[in-house]
Amino acid sequence: MPLGWMQHEAAVAEPVLQVRDLSIAWRGPDGRANRVVDGVSFDLAAGATLGIAGESGSGKSTLARALLGHCRTGSTISGGSIRLNGDDLVALSAPDLARRRGRVMAMVPQNPLASLTFHMTVGRQLQEVLRLRAGLSDKAARLRALELFDQMGLPEPEQLMGRYPHQLSGGQRQRVVLACAIACDPLLLVLDEPTTALDKTTEAQVLELIRRLRSARQGAMVIVTHDLNVVADICDRVLVMQHGRIVEQGPVAEVFVSPREAYTRLLLGAALRVEEASRAKPAAPGQALLEITGLGFRYARPSILRRIAPGPPILEDIGLTLAQGEVLGVIGESGSGKTTLGGIVTGLLTADTGRVVFDGAALAARRTPEQRRRIQMVFQDPLSSLNPRRRVGDSVMRPLRLFQGLDQRAASRRAAELFEQLGLEPELLSRFPRQLSGGQQQRVAIARAFAAGPDLLICDEITSALDASVQAQLLDHLAAIQRRQGTAMLLITHDLSVVWRMARRVVVMRGGRILEAGETEVIFRSPTNPYTAALLGAATRAARAGHPELIEANG
Amino acid sequence: MRAMLLRPAASLGLLLVIAHVLIAIAAPWIAPFAPTSLLDTPLEPPNATYWLGTDDLGRDAFSRLLWGGRVAMLVAFSAGAVAVLGGALLGLSAAYRRGSFDDVLLRLVEMKLAVPTILFVAIFVTGFGQSVPVLIVAVGIIQMMGVVRTTRAAGIVLMEQGYVRAAQLNGESGPTIILRDLLPNVADLMAVEFALRASSALLLVSALSFLGLGISPPTPDWGLMVEDGMALLESEPALVLAPALCIATLVLGINLAAEGLADALGLDAARGGSG
Amino acid sequence: MIYLILRRGALSLATLFLLASFIFFATEVLPGDALDVSLSADELAMMPPEVLARRKAELGLDRPILERYLSFLGGLLTFDLGRTIITRAAVADIVTMPLRNSLALAGVTLLLALPVALAIAMAAAHAKGRVLDNAVSGAAIIGYSIPEFVTGLLLIAVFAVWWPLFPATVTASTDDPLGVLLAAAPLAIATTIIGSIAYLGRILRVGLIEVMASDFVERLHLSGIPRWRILWLHALPAAMIPGLSAAALYAAALVSGVVVVELVFAYPGIGAELVRAVTRREVHVVQAIALAAAICVVLFNLVADLSIAALDPRTRR
Repeated sequence: MPLGWMQHEAAVAEPVLQVRDLSIAWRGPDGRANRVVDGVSFDLAAGATLGIAGESGSGKSTLARALLGHCRTGSTISGGSIRLNGDDLVALSAPDLARRRGRVMAMVPQNPLASLTFHMTVGRQLQEVLRLRAGLSDKAARLRALELFDQMGLPEPEQLMGRYPHQLSGGQRQRVVLACAIACDPLLLVLDEPTTALDKTTEAQVLELIRRLRSARQGAMVIVTHDLNVVADICDRVLVMQHGRIVEQGPVAEVFVSPREAYTRLLLGAALRVEEASRAKPAAPGQALLEITGLGFRYARPSILRRIAPGPPILEDIGLTLAQGEVLGVIGESGSGKTTLGGIVTGLLTADTGRVVFDGAALAARRTPEQRRRIQMVFQDPLSSLNPRRRVGDSVMRPLRLFQGLDQRAASRRAAELFEQLGLEPELLSRFPRQLSGGQQQRVAIARAFAAGPDLLICDEITSALDASVQAQLLDHLAAIQRRQGTAMLLITHDLSVVWRMARRVVVMRGGRILEAGETEVIFRSPTNPYTAALLGAATRAARAGHPELIEANG
Repeated sequence: MRAMLLRPAASLGLLLVIAHVLIAIAAPWIAPFAPTSLLDTPLEPPNATYWLGTDDLGRDAFSRLLWGGRVAMLVAFSAGAVAVLGGALLGLSAAYRRGSFDDVLLRLVEMKLAVPTILFVAIFVTGFGQSVPVLIVAVGIIQMMGVVRTTRAAGIVLMEQGYVRAAQLNGESGPTIILRDLLPNVADLMAVEFALRASSALLLVSALSFLGLGISPPTPDWGLMVEDGMALLESEPALVLAPALCIATLVLGINLAAEGLADALGLDAARGGSG
Repeated sequence: MIYLILRRGALSLATLFLLASFIFFATEVLPGDALDVSLSADELAMMPPEVLARRKAELGLDRPILERYLSFLGGLLTFDLGRTIITRAAVADIVTMPLRNSLALAGVTLLLALPVALAIAMAAAHAKGRVLDNAVSGAAIIGYSIPEFVTGLLLIAVFAVWWPLFPATVTASTDDPLGVLLAAAPLAIATTIIGSIAYLGRILRVGLIEVMASDFVERLHLSGIPRWRILWLHALPAAMIPGLSAAALYAAALVSGVVVVELVFAYPGIGAELVRAVTRREVHVVQAIALAAAICVVLFNLVADLSIAALDPRTRR
């Protein structure tokens, strides 16, 4: 086994964690065993922070849990060793492992809301850890809990202690779970996707907190994430995983600047680089296809037996224009109202105020069949986009028969054409959705949307559920078919690199309002709004890793 | 289906059900005597001619036992089918329409569940007669309520799926969406519900016959046989225990098969519907 | 919170009103009134029409349906449930004691069954997948598959006939004090308990297993908190919330569901009264019993809803 990485530097000084040849096997329902983690080896020194990066299915979450000697039901450690401070966790008995958990090694799990007991106050949960694992008395535990809450930056600790998990915001919950994990100052702290569920502003705050903790503690930290920007932000070393194996590892500055392996290059290639030219093609000058003015929307569901007070406005005073054949990016995080906007344009939702004018005609709640045909949508989750009980060919042919009145043979031929344009073999027409990969499913969904021959396509987070390695390919195919058909697109996403690649113009949304609108290159290179600046700062970290001048310039 | 057979409990259940169904179908041919003819002295103990002896009217108990499941199974499986089909359509429609329709339906279901089962059937039966079709409808309606709840819950989740929203976007009509997109995707759930409802229905029918509100004499029925023989438990235990065992094994078989099916399909069989 | 109680209470009352109306109209729809049934065919044929008409008028069977509906509702408010057709006895008197007896049976059953079901569920969830768990699940399935009258008869066969340990039928009478009555019905109680433990145990077990597999249990496990503590202080309360709701609904069904057991053991409850009243077309008695059962169901539903709201902090705010 080539341990090239080891030759690049002297062995890591005083490793606190030594993993050798670790393999974890998972027994499927058919009885066969799959290697979820395969021959993983690495060292980690005290005070160092290791980032384990990988896409879904890479085995990183399983590895994270194994570092605490824990395997979910169905999987077992099938080989190798994990030495924490000299003791091999693989060889320890359950009671010995339990003794160490929470004290010597701890984990911050991925979903803070689901990871906290919903029927207990957060104060009580932290005190439980302090009493049972740090051995503090009741009074001491309460005082220490208040201290920890304060250290974590939680406002009004006295009051917050008596709250339940669902009453806290996402960022606050993450801090609570973090407090429980560091309560006993463990030697090894593992964080599983610590910021994935948070919006970018909160993410920055939590990352800052983790940075402070890192300098205050002696222990080692392992951060598991799919987001290379997070790795670039707070990790010294990185370990890239794919299919259970380590693809590459080393100091972040080295790996990110000059990746050796093709897979690492692929992952890093997807990172946003605003210094380079945008690949988005400018639109041919054309008339306005879509004009939205003063759009507003509140969420309320009428019914005779319930009276629900209308909530805060989901959308307020939204306005934008889209020319024929143009691609407009709509950037926003969850809660920005971007999905609602897409829903209103497609007619799935009805706005409370404002006008939506499509090709000169105002769109009403009831659409004509022609209007329905001309506005189509592709959704975020590829698997749920297709009827699992129908062959994908049938799903694509349905709009062809509905809108164009084609018979079976003509529809079948057109469907095969569309498949080809999207790089799918015509044989796939007779497959069921579960037999296709995520990327293929999404392309089928795109084919279905284009089957209707639309003038406007709404894309709602169409790459978010796909692996980074597949996203680029999908977007290229989409760009190709869009140019070919001359369809205008509204590209709704939180991922700035998608917009950079596809859209010449962009609109930034937050809290139901539009903050900024204009040319992508201009806004991305010099954002005027602090929120946009924060988004860009977070999204370009991976690209700037290892380039101190760039880090200085953009923060 | 294969995965289900891999589980021993489910296979046993399926075997029991198939055995009962086959016997019931074949009863006219394999029963030694006609179930309603008065043959001999009443209350004879089991002997070579009458394997279970004769009942209180002189009929062959064994033949009546073989015939006893027919009507009950017919009613139970038909009622189960009525419950599942009707319940699924109602539940899915509620999930599709939401709003007032949904709320009213839910309230109706709750109210219906509040009416005691026995009473509901009693009202039906005294109003429309004690015939098999009436029983099927009454028991079917009772069982429908649980199906409505589970299919509605599943339907609400399905409505969020991309392909359903795509169909709505394209302006496809409600019935089309319900039949093409929603119904096929609750088929799994419906299969498990059918088994559960059928077993519930069977228990209910037996109890009703036992109370005199279900299948009426002289039709041979296990529930009736238990009621008839109850007073004679000490002297002629076979007359009561044989039909009781038949009911128990059939229901057990259906329940085991249902659990196995639910397991194999990845569904949860412990649903809190009405019994 | 108070607002919630008021709102649910109002909804329950509305439901009750609708139910009462449904019960009224459903029973009044029965063809052939009580008089037709109580008199034999010969007597009916021989009775001169005016005498028949007078008898009907006396019993109030000839008033228009709307008038009867309103007097029915009025009577409800004053707790006057009318009189039986045949004997002109007060329905309230006929129904009260049997109702008490059925409620007592249901209550005792639940009181004994719930803790046992809980214990079984916890043991099974703790030993998930192993022999104990499978044995428990198997026993539970058998338990709720067997019809109650079969269980009852089997118990009689074994414990009253072969080994005469207990009385086969209840020898106490309707108006006896509850203690005497319940003591005279050990096999009846055993029958209902077996069914209840099987049903509740299964639901509780599944609920517990689901909870033990959730994320917060995993976090506690990874923090080194001992397993017993997780089970008792974290998992159990979480599983009890839907569990209590299921138990309340089951209790509601139990009150009318004991009818079969009552008949097997000759227990003087409302089940026996109901069957008697239906066959005799005693409309008012049927209405009263149906109403009583409906009240129980609505009440238990309300209790279940409110207990969820009280126990689950997520429902507040």
